[in-house]
Amino acid sequence: MLQDNKTPLLVVEDSDEDFEVLQIFMEDMAVTNPIYRCTTGDKALEFLYREQDEGTKENQRPSMILLDLNLPGTDGREILARLKQDDQFREIPIVIFTTNSDPKDIKFCYRKGANGYLIKPVRTERFEKAIQAFVDYWLNTNTLPEWVEFTGNK
Amino acid sequence: MRQSNCSNNPGRLPQDHESPVHLIGLTQPHGVLIGLEASTFNIAHISDNAISHLGISAQTLIGQNLFELIESSTPIQHLQHSLETCSNYPSYHPISISTPSETKQFDGLLHRIDNSILLELEPTHKQTAVELTSLQNQIQRSLSRLRSLDDITDFLQTATTEIQAITGFERVMVYRFDEHCAGSVIAEVKPPEKVSYLGLHYPATDIPTTVRQLYHQGLTRFIPDLRAPSVELVTAEQSFAQTPVDLRYAILRGVDPCCVEYHQNMGVTALLVIALVQGNRLWGLISCHHPTSKFLPYPVRSACVILGQLVAAEVAGKVDRKELNYLSSLQAIQANFIDSIAKATDFKQALIEPAPRLLEVVSAQGAAICLDQDITLIGETPCLEDIQALISWSLEKPSSEIFHTNCLVQVYPSAVNIQAVASGLIVLTISKVRRYLILWFRPEVLQTINWAGNPHESVREGQAILGPRTSFENWKETVRATALPWKSAELANALALKNAIVGIVLSKADELAQINLELERSNRELDSFAYAASHDLKEPLRGITNFSNLILRRYSESLDESAVKRLQTLVKLAERMDRLIDALLRFSRLGQAELQQQPTDLNTLLSKVLETLHAGQNEDTSTIQIHIPRQLPAVKADSILLSEVFSNLLSNALKYTDQPQPSIEVGYLEPNDPKIADGIEPNTCVIYVQDDGIGIHKRHFQNIFRLFKRLHERDSYGGGTGVGLTIAKKIIERHGGHIWVESTYGMGTTFYFVLNCEEK
Repeated sequence: MLQDNKTPLLVVEDSDEDFEVLQIFMEDMAVTNPIYRCTTGDKALEFLYREQDEGTKENQRPSMILLDLNLPGTDGREILARLKQDDQFREIPIVIFTTNSDPKDIKFCYRKGANGYLIKPVRTERFEKAIQAFVDYWLNTNTLPEWVEFTGNK
Repeated sequence: MRQSNCSNNPGRLPQDHESPVHLIGLTQPHGVLIGLEASTFNIAHISDNAISHLGISAQTLIGQNLFELIESSTPIQHLQHSLETCSNYPSYHPISISTPSETKQFDGLLHRIDNSILLELEPTHKQTAVELTSLQNQIQRSLSRLRSLDDITDFLQTATTEIQAITGFERVMVYRFDEHCAGSVIAEVKPPEKVSYLGLHYPATDIPTTVRQLYHQGLTRFIPDLRAPSVELVTAEQSFAQTPVDLRYAILRGVDPCCVEYHQNMGVTALLVIALVQGNRLWGLISCHHPTSKFLPYPVRSACVILGQLVAAEVAGKVDRKELNYLSSLQAIQANFIDSIAKATDFKQALIEPAPRLLEVVSAQGAAICLDQDITLIGETPCLEDIQALISWSLEKPSSEIFHTNCLVQVYPSAVNIQAVASGLIVLTISKVRRYLILWFRPEVLQTINWAGNPHESVREGQAILGPRTSFENWKETVRATALPWKSAELANALALKNAIVGIVLSKADELAQINLELERSNRELDSFAYAASHDLKEPLRGITNFSNLILRRYSESLDESAVKRLQTLVKLAERMDRLIDALLRFSRLGQAELQQQPTDLNTLLSKVLETLHAGQNEDTSTIQIHIPRQLPAVKADSILLSEVFSNLLSNALKYTDQPQPSIEVGYLEPNDPKIADGIEPNTCVIYVQDDGIGIHKRHFQNIFRLFKRLHERDSYGGGTGVGLTIAKKIIERHGGHIWVESTYGMGTTFYFVLNCEEK
């Protein structure tokens, strides 16, 4: 797979600091996938559904979503449930990335179809490790769904 | 009172062989008794004193026809009609009889018994028209005076005064019978110098059954002279010889010797007793005593009977009104009581205060409220120990919501020690399962009787003499260990109280269920809160750590050494705060997580904990060595939580030591081990973790279990969060046990905790 064709990653994250550090580490890890960021749940939904309606900027459609749970407005759990219920988005892997370690929430997310659950550690080296693991697996190793039916030019 | 039956005489006949007073075969001498054959009116019996009243001997008169005797001035046809129609109840008939010397007027009383007609003749007492009119007026006045009185005491007192005035007897008393037919004097009029009998009690046996029945039928008993010798009955040889004459309705019936003795001991010579019959019940008697012989003519006696009937009829109304007043006061107390219980948050408190209310609701002298192990006593009660025994006894009985007795010893012989205060008992079982009971007590009646005026010195050395004093002794026997009976309205009150309490308990249970629901919800909220709080606290913390680290990584060349050091400190502090937040989260979740208790082998559990501790240790530190003197028992516990306890205690033992090779021992004590000072429940054991570490000052024995409490500098001894022992304590307490520490500073520390043993 060519680097240019790397599928975009949507990060739904309200914390500027967390996002900045995430970006820095991903840069360090030579991640070249386009990264979109939404700071609230509502903006994330808006972004996704607008993309679908217009149907033109197909390369902006994310193939992978990194989702914080505690978000202003519509929160991460709702976004997850909604996307996983929607035929148009169901196949997009969603990895939860949150400080929340409540077992009930972890269970809830998997039930709703989350593809992974990463807890954001406070310690930098652990935080970096978590991002490294994500990048290694989801971006570099795993094969993400492609969107031939929309792009029409596989 | 005593009419016959020498109950106190040594060697007297037992009750069932009581001499039949109606077959006594004797008459009183102040009149002539004639027994007639019902079909022929021929004289079959006649009292042997005929000669003194009629001038003709009894023997001569036997067999004669009655009408041969009757003077022609007597309205014969009327008499004949009366003879044919007479009943059990004596009817009055004036009769003139010509004796050899003169024509004599008699008051005749006729009644029928079996196949006989008894005619009793009393010489007519010459009364002037003025005397008769004045008697009539006196009765009129008495009746209207009595009717105007509402108070029962005044009423009865006045009745005695009126009867005293009419009869001229020196002492007139009103007796009232209780449900056991024992009598007590409730009104009396007497000469001032004579001893009062008011308030005295008499056993039922003082009046023979037959006599009582006669009184029950409303009969009057009149004995003008107890000392007068009785008169034999002469009987015709052929006809009724086999059957003694039944004298039960005879006015002239002879007096039983016991009755004579009894009254003579009281100094009584003349006696008049009027029955007070209320509905179908012998309510009481009016008894008139006179020290010398005293004859009352028939009109006077009949006036007394009329007064007696009025008293009996009126007393019913007055007694009922009094009872009604009492019942309505009971009801008012109950309504007020239930109302305040319903409003009370603590129904036990509402039962107890104000104290008299619980007693008043059933008119008891004492009460005990038993709420499981908690027993509260009010008023006069047996001691706590006796009550506990009584409760155990009553709980063993077949289930019934209310039990009552007024003679507890009959059903519960151990009550003999407590009969003074607890002869009467109500046990109201509110909940057998939860041991919720209310007990009410009434004292023995003897304890409540005022026997101040001991009336007679009638018990002489070695010789019992009949009299009220000995009667009282008798009565004491019959009421010993007996309390006033519980009225049905009182029992109904007790039951109503139970229903109210059950209702309150149920509504409290509803409230509790509601509170539980709310607690559950707030617990859930707290749970979420702990996570949310930790989340919100951690986010900025992560920013601090990450940015500090980024600066350290990327710009450390442009920073001087102390700036780098301070940044490193910043990171370290943030990381420490992260650990504190985790500990707090862990602790807050401990209180809510459900315990997964199961049989847990401590040996296996401990070796797993050690493995984990090993894994966490740095390579270079020496291996952990723990001495286990004997196989540890199996306990009932949540193994994950219990692992945490061991892990915390052992890591403390490893941390807080200066020994290069710490010596740690894990063992257990049985419940009966002398080392356990306070003793513990059976089926539990005490586990200990002992080290030879730095030890703890005694003053810190409690502090060490406090959240975030550390005894040492923040970074010394591995720099813990100060939450390990708090968590250990919480876990042990969640298991129903407790944890404590013993230590000698500088010598080592031992932690002890109690767990439930798995039964072998």
